[in-house]
Amino acid sequence: MNQQIVTFPIPKPGKISLVNAPRAVVPSLMNMLAILALRGQVIVIDGGNCFDGYALARALRAETHQVQIALKQVLLSRAFTCYQMVAMLAELPANGTPIVILDMLSTFLDENVHLAQRLRLLDSSLNLVRRISTQSPVAIWTRARSSPTGEDQQLLTPLLEMAHDIWELETPTRPAHQLPLF
Amino acid sequence: MGRTLPSATQLMLQEEAALSRFRRALRRSDQLVFDDLFTAAQKHISAAAYAAHALPFETFLMAMLLEERKEVMRLRQMVEALCEMHA
Amino acid sequence: MLEFKGWLLDLFEDPREGLVLYFIDSDGSRHRLTRPFPVTFYALGSDAQLRKLWQYLEDRPHEIKLKRTQRMDVFKRQRVTVLGVTVQNPYEVSKIFHQIAAQFPNLEFADADLAISLRFAAETGAFPLAYCHVQADEALHLQDIQILEDAWTLKAAPIPLRIMSLAPDVAPHHARPHYLIVSTGGEEYRFALSAWRPLLVNLRALIARHDPDLLLTDWGDTWLLPQLLEQSEKYHIPLGLNREASRSVCWREERTYFSYGRIVYRGQQIHLFGRCHIDRQNAVLWNDYELDGTIEISRVTALPLQTAARVSPGTGISSIEMHTALREGILVPWQKQQAEMLKPAADLFSADQGGLVYQPRIGVHKNVAEIDFVSLYPAIMVYFNISPETILTNPDADNIVPALGLGIDTSQEGLIPKALRPLLEKRIEFKKHLANTPSWDPFRKNFKRRASALKWLLVTCFGYLGYKNARFGRIEAHQAVTAYGREALLRAKETAEDMGFEVIQLYVDGLWVQHPDKTRPEDIEPLLLEIQERTGLPISLDGIYRWVIFVGSRQNKDRPVANRYFGVFQDGTIKVRGIDARRRDSTPFVSQSQMHLLELLASYDSPEDALPEAIRYLQERLRALRQGEIKLPDLLVRQQLGRKLEAYRTLSPAALAVLQLKAVGKEMRPGQRVPFLFTLGKPGVFAWDLPQKPNPSAIDVARYQRLLLRAAGIVLESWGLDEEKLSEKVLSGATQLQLPVTRQQHPGEHRCNIPGIIHPTVNRSLEGHPY
Repeated sequence: MNQQIVTFPIPKPGKISLVNAPRAVVPSLMNMLAILALRGQVIVIDGGNCFDGYALARALRAETHQVQIALKQVLLSRAFTCYQMVAMLAELPANGTPIVILDMLSTFLDENVHLAQRLRLLDSSLNLVRRISTQSPVAIWTRARSSPTGEDQQLLTPLLEMAHDIWELETPTRPAHQLPLF
Repeated sequence: MGRTLPSATQLMLQEEAALSRFRRALRRSDQLVFDDLFTAAQKHISAAAYAAHALPFETFLMAMLLEERKEVMRLRQMVEALCEMHA
Repeated sequence: MLEFKGWLLDLFEDPREGLVLYFIDSDGSRHRLTRPFPVTFYALGSDAQLRKLWQYLEDRPHEIKLKRTQRMDVFKRQRVTVLGVTVQNPYEVSKIFHQIAAQFPNLEFADADLAISLRFAAETGAFPLAYCHVQADEALHLQDIQILEDAWTLKAAPIPLRIMSLAPDVAPHHARPHYLIVSTGGEEYRFALSAWRPLLVNLRALIARHDPDLLLTDWGDTWLLPQLLEQSEKYHIPLGLNREASRSVCWREERTYFSYGRIVYRGQQIHLFGRCHIDRQNAVLWNDYELDGTIEISRVTALPLQTAARVSPGTGISSIEMHTALREGILVPWQKQQAEMLKPAADLFSADQGGLVYQPRIGVHKNVAEIDFVSLYPAIMVYFNISPETILTNPDADNIVPALGLGIDTSQEGLIPKALRPLLEKRIEFKKHLANTPSWDPFRKNFKRRASALKWLLVTCFGYLGYKNARFGRIEAHQAVTAYGREALLRAKETAEDMGFEVIQLYVDGLWVQHPDKTRPEDIEPLLLEIQERTGLPISLDGIYRWVIFVGSRQNKDRPVANRYFGVFQDGTIKVRGIDARRRDSTPFVSQSQMHLLELLASYDSPEDALPEAIRYLQERLRALRQGEIKLPDLLVRQQLGRKLEAYRTLSPAALAVLQLKAVGKEMRPGQRVPFLFTLGKPGVFAWDLPQKPNPSAIDVARYQRLLLRAAGIVLESWGLDEEKLSEKVLSGATQLQLPVTRQQHPGEHRCNIPGIIHPTVNRSLEGHPY
């Protein structure tokens, strides 16, 4: 639990922010969510079964005694297939509520669905995201894998092209506390 | 569909890990007591899971207290029994 | 005009006739009937999209009929407008559908990929192996079919199946078979595999003479039928494996997949037309429920016998749900679009949980009653009406799911309860009947196997509700089931405590309770009634243990694990969970010895009295092991290959065995079990299926000895003999047995009776016991 917390800027309406980083970034994302939740409602779409409610609660606890109330501001829905991801995005309101999409590409790596079909569904998803982002701030996290495949890149590229600002983070190689060796 | 949140057992390990710096700086004898507290809390892991508290450490503390209280009651009864024997 | 009573054996699509059906007439004859069978699937989308699809298809009127109509969408909870595409010949459906799906990727589809047997059953009521009344015209076109027994009949008329069994003399992956053994009509034949021509000629004659309905083989999918087909082609001697002469057999590829976190391997399959083929070695749960259970699965799932023999229980449940949906006119989505609804993150903490599981108290407990909810999760789904469409976002106060912020609509029975209710009720009926059926009753075995088949379906149906690709799965429904499950178990716990019982253990759907004065089944009855009253769910007494022992985990024996225990019921039955005697990977030598020890303990009123005999038994087993008297197959370990070889960092013994096989050209896939022996020297294992014979003197006796003593220690530890003490005793070889030293009482073990306080479990039954 000694992960480093990165403070991300709060996403703004009309903008799509993209964070491309390994899984270790989740606590930082939860911090960002906590800040958003303290300001009002926020919607989370979890495409990688990675929403860390406990990290979020801890982040909220640092700011408020009313953790439960703040947790109610966070609306969550989890997508387990790429079909569900599209269906979910299609139902989202574009009313200014900030949207955070976690591990957006995981469901599109499902080998049970033809690649052409997945690319088509991803395309639909991105169109929906673009439409929503005209009214609401959107932040997307894509999980960077330790050994990315060609397919990973193929799926990531359109997201990189769509985003207005992009954060790429790598896993820190240094251990949290290191003794000088003498 | 796998679970999204960690299980109560994993949570307890996480909380223990979060205190590893504290534990490290304790005397060896105190470290063992520290470990005992977590072992005691483990007995109520299913109740803690059912409680589903967003800040589970509070529940774990309660579980530790519960076991401490039981120990106190047990010792009290032993003392009373001994007193009676010697009376 | 043909009219008869009989059983529907097989049915399949045909390019010319539409549908071909094979029947077993009760007079002994067999019939092949045909029928046109148009099949409809549906497209869902915007008016403009559907209009385009209409234009695309409208110039093929003799092949396809189109109709705009309304159908029920279970996820939208309303009827929706759809375009019905009716394909005149079912043989063409798959091809036409995939063309359309590729051409119109933005449309949604329903009822698109359903097995023909499900469609036929939904339309006519006649499912595979149903006993029916059949009418046909002179051209053998099916005119009318009425079922005489439904799929829920307990005492169904036995089907006069003609069975031919085919098996090689040895397991072909282990050694080279020399004979093919054929048994049919009470006769047995042996054909040398070295002389293919006579074998083929004779086999062809036997098949023609006996005309079997079912070929029951060993390794027919993976070895025997491929061999026979290859040779039959080489020698130009057609065997007539299919009854439907115009068709060649149907091959399905082997595969490995994940199911509920476990890796599963299924071998290649060979299906026949007009006749069934079941490979006992590749059939699902064959050892558990055999042909009776497989027939049961086929009937209740409406899947043809040879499919039913090979599908997972999850696919079986899926078929039952799809069949119900078809009958009810509910759309069966091709790809489920439904996603989880937006809910406050605060709700996730209590929703994202499984069943309630206690940490048991390690050690011996006496006079413990085990009571179990009967098929808890299916019962919750059925009695509390849990289904994807009954979940309410804005719950009314009446039917709110405990701690979940969801409601359940109980105004109409949901699709899932409708599909599961007859299954659950049939299982309960079987249970009732079995309780009253004496052991000599000829129906007993049949009932047991069929009940077991139903049990597997019911066990699976809950997980299937939460499976991401399940057509009628829904995460909220899945969560509602576990929430009700936890509530039921807690209410049961509270009831037991209110009635003065101590709760020893809780495990998802069962609880273990103890009361000093309530040690007979009739004493438990009031508790059962009260729990049923408070939960609305059926619960029954599994039995009362004379003693039951919860043991710690394999890694750390002081750490309790929920599902690792063994005990003896009052009637002497032994129940074992999670220890070697039950594990599929343990060697027969070890698991049989462990079971024998348990039987020994169970045979004495005070299990302590069994200890001298237990030690003698272990000494004898070890002597037999050292002197090579244990047969090698009894020393086989059967571990599963958990992943691909490349994925291992340090090779497990199973992986080492697989590596040996690879070196001689035998490939194994993840999910397969590899049998091997532990041997001396490197690499420490000997794969059983290697071509050379194992050297009996290379057996790693010390390793087997360790395995035996560890397994024995688990069973005897609570009676004062843990692995270490046991090793001392058994290996000392002393004929004059010493008493274990009476345990010194540690001051901390002094017990005071404070109600509700958990003491470290101390076994004192041995103290001062003179054996």
